[in-house]
Amino acid sequence: MIANRGEIALRINRACQELGVATVAIYSEADRESLHVRQADEAFCVGPGPAGRSYLNIPNIISTALVTGCDAVHPGYGFLAENARFAEICSDHGLTFIGPKPSVIALMGDKATAKRILSEAGVATTPGSDVLASIEEAYEAARSIGYPLLLKATAGGGGRGMRVVREPGDLPRAYAGATAEAEASFKDGRVYLERLIRAPRHIEVQVLADEFGNIVHLGERDCSVQKPAHQKIIEETPAPHLPARARSALHEMALAAARYVGYTNAGTLEFLVSGDDAYFMEMNTRIQVEHPVTEMVYNIDLVKEQIRIASGEPLGYVQRDLVVRGHAIECRINAEDARSNFAPAAGTVSKVVFPGGPGIRVDTHLYAGATIPPYYDSMLAKVVAFGDTREVAIARMERALRETLIEGVNTTIDICLEILESREFRDGRYDIEFIPNRILANGEAASISPRSLR
Amino acid sequence: MTQRAYVGIGSNLGDRLANLDRAFDALARLGRIRAASSLYRTRPWGKRDQPWFLNAVVSIETKLNARSLLDGLRQAEDELGRERGERWAARTIDLDLLLYDDLEITTPDLRLPHPHLHERAFVLVPLAELDKRFEVMRDALPPSERAGVVRVERESVIGMSEELSALRERLTALARFLEESDVVRVRVERAQDEIELSVRARPAITQSAAGVPAAPASRVDTIKADLVGIFHASRPAAVEGDVLDGDRELGYIEALGIRTPVHSLGAGRLLSVVTADGSPVEYGQPLFLLARGR
Repeated sequence: MIANRGEIALRINRACQELGVATVAIYSEADRESLHVRQADEAFCVGPGPAGRSYLNIPNIISTALVTGCDAVHPGYGFLAENARFAEICSDHGLTFIGPKPSVIALMGDKATAKRILSEAGVATTPGSDVLASIEEAYEAARSIGYPLLLKATAGGGGRGMRVVREPGDLPRAYAGATAEAEASFKDGRVYLERLIRAPRHIEVQVLADEFGNIVHLGERDCSVQKPAHQKIIEETPAPHLPARARSALHEMALAAARYVGYTNAGTLEFLVSGDDAYFMEMNTRIQVEHPVTEMVYNIDLVKEQIRIASGEPLGYVQRDLVVRGHAIECRINAEDARSNFAPAAGTVSKVVFPGGPGIRVDTHLYAGATIPPYYDSMLAKVVAFGDTREVAIARMERALRETLIEGVNTTIDICLEILESREFRDGRYDIEFIPNRILANGEAASISPRSLR
Repeated sequence: MTQRAYVGIGSNLGDRLANLDRAFDALARLGRIRAASSLYRTRPWGKRDQPWFLNAVVSIETKLNARSLLDGLRQAEDELGRERGERWAARTIDLDLLLYDDLEITTPDLRLPHPHLHERAFVLVPLAELDKRFEVMRDALPPSERAGVVRVERESVIGMSEELSALRERLTALARFLEESDVVRVRVERAQDEIELSVRARPAITQSAAGVPAAPASRVDTIKADLVGIFHASRPAAVEGDVLDGDRELGYIEALGIRTPVHSLGAGRLLSVVTADGSPVEYGQPLFLLARGR
């Protein structure tokens, strides 16, 4: 059963079809006409539009799996993908959860504890505190770590529940704000402190592990091109201008961490890289949105691997069998208005043309006439470009984005093109402050009118 | 082998839009709906002092022969509560078999094509939308006839003028005041605009906790599953035609070892058992059709 929606549900369905695995899709009333619903072997409505009553409706989701006789559940990303309780409930009902064990999900889901555990494994982590019990503890920790700092939610993600603390005077309001937002977003108001790394790069490492203790890494991805609130727009692999030693250090740390916690299935370790220093930030125990770029350069199907691993198969290959070839870039196309600070836009897509040709892959659930419901994230499509070199990949991506036509909603296609044309991106020298500083500050936000075919 | 038929739908009583929706549902059970025209507000043909109708024409592909299709339409009219020979000759729903392929039949109870087709603007205008062959016939209608057929544009509802909105507020207040009295309907017509208020006699069923609104004189409700599981009918099972004199448990949905009852949410007559005993059901799946009132 595919316990998700949109493009990732389609992605999972495709892997299953190629493996000869039958699929059951779940959908909300708002997604009745969605592509994954039409393409799965069976589909069940699990609730009305709002995610809490549909895609997070554990009873209806489990019930669907049981009623249709499913053997396994793939949670995709977001929604219940990193919900340890859901993973437990699946196994309680005899359903294989495609992902790591519930205890590992819970461990990695507690960010502060994950850092502490992994530093025991010899992984460099951002200097920081454990979970703070009070504002007094916060002051103490802040003093020993050193300002400036970042106050973060331990149950958090997606940039929420975070506050910058530049000096002691900032702490009371930051503490109150972060705990409140964490409580509201994640039902867990616990926070911890981390040194604020200046202008870091966000580089993550993909790992795959089977249930027999075999673990491999599949390279790193540079995800530093991010909107305000730490949301990724463009990702690429390999990370440009990363010294060989730094690169292999990241890979080794990722393997050590995965081994230490007894990791199984697919996962990603996120690091902040500043100069010669790399710090472990958090681990995501799920398949990620940007997985296609890794698939392109390693010529591997990560979702199929997830399913194979979950069904008890060994990896069947070792690290030296995995060879990187070429360069891949992904642009996330969202329904948004770049000028109004990326406010999400709902609507109906009247006309749609997706690019093709050499080295282009598009992962999308969009089709002409599709309505974009207001209840979920605003991602419309992922355009991925592959080339023998980074220059070829960039050129192909630019061509592909110019070929792309999505009418009926405003999209981030133009801002992606602007980024690709920027000197920083072309040189491969950018960090996570790149977009917030440059693009929005000096008002070079791209035109947000619907693009027409040129 | 399927045949293509055109069916005219009309309503000028009650919640006309809802009636048309239910008519579409009923037609979908007689064949496959291939196309539907726009909706039109039309001046009553024949007896003039009635409310304006809401009309449309639907193109349907069916395996039924003409007579069976006609029977199906009559039955649907009955189920949807058409009142025959009533004082104002107003109709909850009117289903006319206009054309059945190119069949020409003249018998006492079935005549095809529909005998009045060529002179009724409220048939020809929507029909010509679906089938270009009738454009000539439509254009041959006298202008006065065509003036009585107004295509329903959504914009006119959204862009309702302030004056009209204010008028509507006042009349809504009036309707509430009149709710206590015997007045059954108030209609205000003004050129191309129309405000229709229906103040009905006190309904037989009160608003239920599930939010099913108070029923008008006659209406079809769908009881739907609100969770995923296996549906089990109660023992003894309710069957089509059963009259329920109050809220009654019709079955339950079993999920994760828990049985959640399914209720009729009030009195009514069971029109249809949509889902069989022992079937898996999804959220929103129709289980029963109930006719409320009368």
